[in-house]
Amino acid sequence: MFHQFSATAESLSKASSLVLRIGTDAHLYDDPDDVSIGPLLESRFDSEKVDALKRLLALLAQGSDVSQFFPQVVKNVASQSLELKKLVYLYLLHYAEKRQNEALLSINCFQKDLSDTNPLVRAWALRTMAGIRLHAVAPLVLRAITKCARDPSAYVRKCAAYALPKLYDLHHDEDNSSFEELVDILLNDHSPGVVGAAAAAFKSVCPSSLFLIAKSFRRLCEILPDVEEWGQIVLIEILLRYIIARHGIVKESIMFSLSTMSTTPVADGFPTFSGTSGNCQTLVGTTCDVNMITLMCKSYIDGQIECFAQTGCSNSNDDKLDLSLTSSTNDDVVMLLRCTSPLLWSHNSAVVLAAAGVHWIMAPRENIERIIKPLLFILRSCQASKYVILCNLLVFAKAVPPFFSQYYEDFFVCSYDTYQIRALKLEILSIIATESSIPIILQEFQDYVKDPDRRFVADTVAAIGLCAQRLPMVASACLEGLLAITFYESSLSSSSQIDGEAGVLVQAIMSIKAIIKQNPDSYDRVIVQLACNLDRIKIPAARALVIWIIGEYSVIGQIIPKVVPSILNYLAWSFTSEEPDTKLQILNTAAKVLLCAQGADSLAFRKILSYFIELAKYDINYDVRDRAHFIFKFMPHSLMTSSEKDNNSDISQNGRMHHEPGGKILNGKMHSSISSTKSSRIYLPGSLSQIVLHAASGYEPLPKPCSLLNTDLTAGVVNETNDSDISSGSSIEESGSVYDSDHSSISSDDGNESVNDSNDTESTALAVRNDVQDVREKTLVDVSNVNVCVDDSNENTKGNLSAFISTDLAELMPKLALESWLDEEPGVSSIQTTQQASSGRISINNLNCTVTPKLHSLLDPTTNNGLRVEYAFSYEISTISSMLVLVEIFFENCSSEPIKNIALKDGESSLSVESSDQVLGESESLLRTANVPPVLSTEEIASLDPGQRVKKLIEIRFPHHLLPLKLAVTCNGKKFSTKLWPDIGYFLKPLSMNTSAFIDHERQLPGMFEYSKSIDYKMWCTFKDHIEKIAPVKDDSSIHSDKIILLSQILASKVLSNCNVSLVCADIPVSFNIDDASGLCLRFSGELLSNSKPCLISILVEGKFSEPLVLTVKINCEETVFGLNLLNRVAAFLQ
Amino acid sequence: MLEKQMAGHRVDRSICAWFWDYVLSQGGDPSMILPVIASPTHYLFQLFRDGIIFLACTQVEMPPLMGIEFLCRVADVLTDYLGGLNEDVIKDNFVIVYEILDEMMDNGIPLTTEPNILREMITPPNIVSKMLSIVTGKNSNVSANLPDATASCIPWRKTNPKHSSNEVYVNLVEEMDAVFNRDGILVKCEIYGEVQVNSHLPGLPDLTLSFSNPSILYDIRFHPCVRFRPWESDQILSFVPPDGEFRLMSYRVKKLKNTPIYVKPQLTSDAGNCRVNVLVGIRNDPGKAIDSITVQFQLPLCVASANLTPNHGTVNILADKTCCWSIGQIPKDKSPSLSGNLVLEVGLDKLHVFPVFRVGFRIMGVAFSGLQIHKLDVKNTPSEPYKGFRALTRSGEYEVRA
Repeated sequence: MFHQFSATAESLSKASSLVLRIGTDAHLYDDPDDVSIGPLLESRFDSEKVDALKRLLALLAQGSDVSQFFPQVVKNVASQSLELKKLVYLYLLHYAEKRQNEALLSINCFQKDLSDTNPLVRAWALRTMAGIRLHAVAPLVLRAITKCARDPSAYVRKCAAYALPKLYDLHHDEDNSSFEELVDILLNDHSPGVVGAAAAAFKSVCPSSLFLIAKSFRRLCEILPDVEEWGQIVLIEILLRYIIARHGIVKESIMFSLSTMSTTPVADGFPTFSGTSGNCQTLVGTTCDVNMITLMCKSYIDGQIECFAQTGCSNSNDDKLDLSLTSSTNDDVVMLLRCTSPLLWSHNSAVVLAAAGVHWIMAPRENIERIIKPLLFILRSCQASKYVILCNLLVFAKAVPPFFSQYYEDFFVCSYDTYQIRALKLEILSIIATESSIPIILQEFQDYVKDPDRRFVADTVAAIGLCAQRLPMVASACLEGLLAITFYESSLSSSSQIDGEAGVLVQAIMSIKAIIKQNPDSYDRVIVQLACNLDRIKIPAARALVIWIIGEYSVIGQIIPKVVPSILNYLAWSFTSEEPDTKLQILNTAAKVLLCAQGADSLAFRKILSYFIELAKYDINYDVRDRAHFIFKFMPHSLMTSSEKDNNSDISQNGRMHHEPGGKILNGKMHSSISSTKSSRIYLPGSLSQIVLHAASGYEPLPKPCSLLNTDLTAGVVNETNDSDISSGSSIEESGSVYDSDHSSISSDDGNESVNDSNDTESTALAVRNDVQDVREKTLVDVSNVNVCVDDSNENTKGNLSAFISTDLAELMPKLALESWLDEEPGVSSIQTTQQASSGRISINNLNCTVTPKLHSLLDPTTNNGLRVEYAFSYEISTISSMLVLVEIFFENCSSEPIKNIALKDGESSLSVESSDQVLGESESLLRTANVPPVLSTEEIASLDPGQRVKKLIEIRFPHHLLPLKLAVTCNGKKFSTKLWPDIGYFLKPLSMNTSAFIDHERQLPGMFEYSKSIDYKMWCTFKDHIEKIAPVKDDSSIHSDKIILLSQILASKVLSNCNVSLVCADIPVSFNIDDASGLCLRFSGELLSNSKPCLISILVEGKFSEPLVLTVKINCEETVFGLNLLNRVAAFLQ
Repeated sequence: MLEKQMAGHRVDRSICAWFWDYVLSQGGDPSMILPVIASPTHYLFQLFRDGIIFLACTQVEMPPLMGIEFLCRVADVLTDYLGGLNEDVIKDNFVIVYEILDEMMDNGIPLTTEPNILREMITPPNIVSKMLSIVTGKNSNVSANLPDATASCIPWRKTNPKHSSNEVYVNLVEEMDAVFNRDGILVKCEIYGEVQVNSHLPGLPDLTLSFSNPSILYDIRFHPCVRFRPWESDQILSFVPPDGEFRLMSYRVKKLKNTPIYVKPQLTSDAGNCRVNVLVGIRNDPGKAIDSITVQFQLPLCVASANLTPNHGTVNILADKTCCWSIGQIPKDKSPSLSGNLVLEVGLDKLHVFPVFRVGFRIMGVAFSGLQIHKLDVKNTPSEPYKGFRALTRSGEYEVRA
């Protein structure tokens, strides 16, 4: 009873307020468990249940665990009372993940509610069902979402869109296509509210599937102003990403125009703008910080890591971006800009910033100015958002200061601003100050200096220094002010120690130092003034700074050298009472002064320095001791008295040598790192990462310009296989260019230039063949599982990845994998093998194999008078007729006399051969009707000098792929008949396809079209000579690690040198047993020259390296005879 | 502390403990810390409003303004619902707070933030319902029906409100920001204004509001209901209003030259003492009475004690050395002044830091920017509604540096 009387006034007032709080839920909150909750939940009355649930909620809010009531609460899900339902849902959502089994009981009720007539009930049911996060019900939820996505009520559809990310979060390992399909449906909804929600779903479910946007881009733009504000923020971002990926950077935009400007970049600061406010033309005309913009542009697109790697070493001109460009007149760009510009007037500052971001990146520079007023307006919204907006404005202002220079008033600090906001405003002010505005800004700064917040004052002083550096015209005025501050502060701090004053003083001297540094000669008086006041400056850091300045500029002007001796005397007097920092600087300064001194002074200086060193050697602080020893060691010559010097003139030579580094170290220009890492961290405007200045997880830079291909747009969701085709098709192209990289090895091996030539033309032919699309870089290794056909989905995702997102990283990894694989590092490769399942395999379509077309002899120099004629089959395809095979003929004069009138003609017997090839079928007879002669294009070689070698390209129609063509070589009037044997491998031309297409074709050519032959293959004999060719120095142990790669290289180069086909892929099994080659499979594809029918070659390897391997060559071809012959040929050259 | 888990991955409560440690390490004043903080595990957005801290966490990239703006909106809605914000009010209505939060956000994405719609979904607490709940023991503040507006193209308005009243009020509320520097020169003077509309109109009314001098508007922001086209072409506000009170538009007017009152502080210090003399008076008579005049300033830390006496109004010196001088209306016969003496800390001869005087005032019936509403047309209503206009100017960031 009595304790009430001792109650304080506070609790009395609480009691009185309790009276007023009757009827509220306060009692429930204050004493949630004053009644037992269990029975209440079992009550028949809804109101009691509601009461119980409210109590539970209160307990929950206070952080206690009330999950023991879960079973009882779940029972109430079926209740008809909406309030009860809502409360139950709130409870359920909090605990469902913890109590999975009991939560399952509620599912039935949700299912029932989903078909309720009241849309609110349906929506709630869906929201809760998706929110309870049970893996077991994920399929049910997906079905529910699918159903609700077509619900008549927009609210339910909206909730369905919101439910998608929840489900995705729970279950996203699953195939993504169903999600994408749902997002697509919802994005196409006619209700703006749903579209906004769908945009949010898009962002979290499939942010890279920008092709979904393609078809409805214009509609989305039009609907944008009607979408609710939160959806607008997300949708704007998506549309921007889409535009970049689809069309690239706008040519007139700030991102492009400044980053690629050819004018000399202005390093620090910009020439001031004339001051006629509001004149757009002047603004645009002024130069801006080009480096900054280049950096910004890069960071937006490349992301931070790469950006650092590139700019870290140099920011020279070579780092220009190769951006795909579009013009500002592009319809889509215009549309987006038009639809986002009213959003600059939005109520919601996040929307304004998002819309401004789009304009900043996409709009032509003349129009960017329109975003500035709205951005400044949202500064007025609330303190918290003020900070975020200023962070973004700072980046903008750094990039293009003139845009902001007339709005300096908005960045004036007011007393309501927090310290962080003030600091940002100061930084912006010092960046945007111009010649016309600087007087007002400095006036303002003078006020700030008297602010009670001394931390802010220190920042102001720093800002004054920055302004003075940027605008030299005010430098002397600033210096005057700074000096005044310095003297004032030093007088203050001498009288009493007040927090923060030291900081101001140090900052003031630092600013002075920075200004002096720009033009030391004209500020010698300032230095003297500082030096004279040294006695009054008590703060060690400030003293150290002043002493440094004296040392640095000790020989400048007329006055300083006169003052220096007395200063040094003063310091010598005070040395023992100085702080360590100051002592270090005194030592440095004394040494520097001595180095620069001439004549009579130097003796005095030497004495002083030795005195300092003697004192410092026994200092209590080890840094000071070290410094003394250091200086002593570096300057022995300077420290010697002149008499000693005379005695040891030879040593003085040595001393010179020491003198130099000593001088260099002490006089070395301090490279103050002006560009701190902080300022170079730029992220997308409006992003969280920009505020915290590191890439938050989930941060994505803008997509690569034009990374969204036209083909993808048509592909759409349904036939996603197309996407995978595109990417893997491109990888075939890469395999084609192998030849390119192997030039050197070929020419060095053979010493044969003409072969080199043929390869050149060959590779260009390949490039032409594959110019279907331009893809800059491709994956070299495709890691997939063993069943290629089954694993389509896996490949699809990869295809999407490389096609839509920035491909670089994705490529980097496989490339590295290949390198490590080829670099023969057993450790790395074994790691990779362990990562793969034992059944896994790596599919490589870029084997680093050498291709050496075989030379055949046509005419031996011994049989005639010294003319050697050789031929090789070319990889080129005849442009005249598909029946013709291109053959390169090499004429070489081996005799000592020139050979004249060399020609190549048909043998007379060609007619008789023709009669024999009647059996060859109609294709041949067709050709005869076309009346193409067997040999085309043979001009006579007038003369061939001794040793000269001439290459001729002839096109030959072979009568049969096995039978030789009779030719006659005439030279010097004589005629030699010879035979040109056809090579069946060159009746093919390469046909590029990817693995899955290969398997498809293979399936279409079964049974009688499939021929195979097994051959024993002695690994080691061929192996050795191959290795000798490639790497004669490599030791044996290294070879062991990647025998399988070598083997596939050997096989591939053999096939490619003997057949005109293209390598589809090499499937390399990844097993723990290094010795085991079983399962290696190389696939080649080509088509018949005569009738363009596909012809597939696969080589399967079985067995172990230690034993003879068994190669199974398999050919799938419709032309039976041809196929069988080819099989024999392949088997022959493989052996 | 109230906790609402929004996304599937729950955030442990310990983040709040971390936050408090952080606040304490930063000086303990929640209003002074950064709005976006990177904690070891989460990114925190914080909003400090009326002694309540609103804290939101995220682990992934998102627009930070979105987070902050949402917290602002939550604070606005709660203030609106509960008629103020403080610990007791939130405790009293914690169930409603939970329900509102649940409606406002779903899985980390704002769901329904339009106050009008929320009101229909969750009934705000009021006296009647409180009494009812006492009498009948029943109380449901969850509406049984989905508001139709969620489906309509104008999500801010319920489709068919029924009102006995047929009226619309337009209220111009302006805040004046002004800064005088230490020489007494006006550095910056601008007005931030809002057009607040309170409409109780039946049906689907279509309103057009025009100003007689729209050219003075420096920049503008609109409620989503405003159509952009008519503004772009004719500078006319055309809109279908939400039901009830809302902010139709906010604007800025810059480069003003006149301020209604002047404050002239004088501080002269020597020998450890500082004489203070502050004069307040009317500079440009706005034609209406200026009331609720206050002058507030922070005594510098180096002030040991203060003795200040006004010749009008009252002076209060709070524990954190804030000095509030409330004047009210300026009397006709004399001009208010505050004078006194500050004793500086020992060892300090002169005052080297000077306080900033924040001035508060209110002028009823005047929009100081001079913005004038030309006319308001209401179409699409059965009968001509009652239209009311008001204006108010008050001080925003109005400060005078000494």
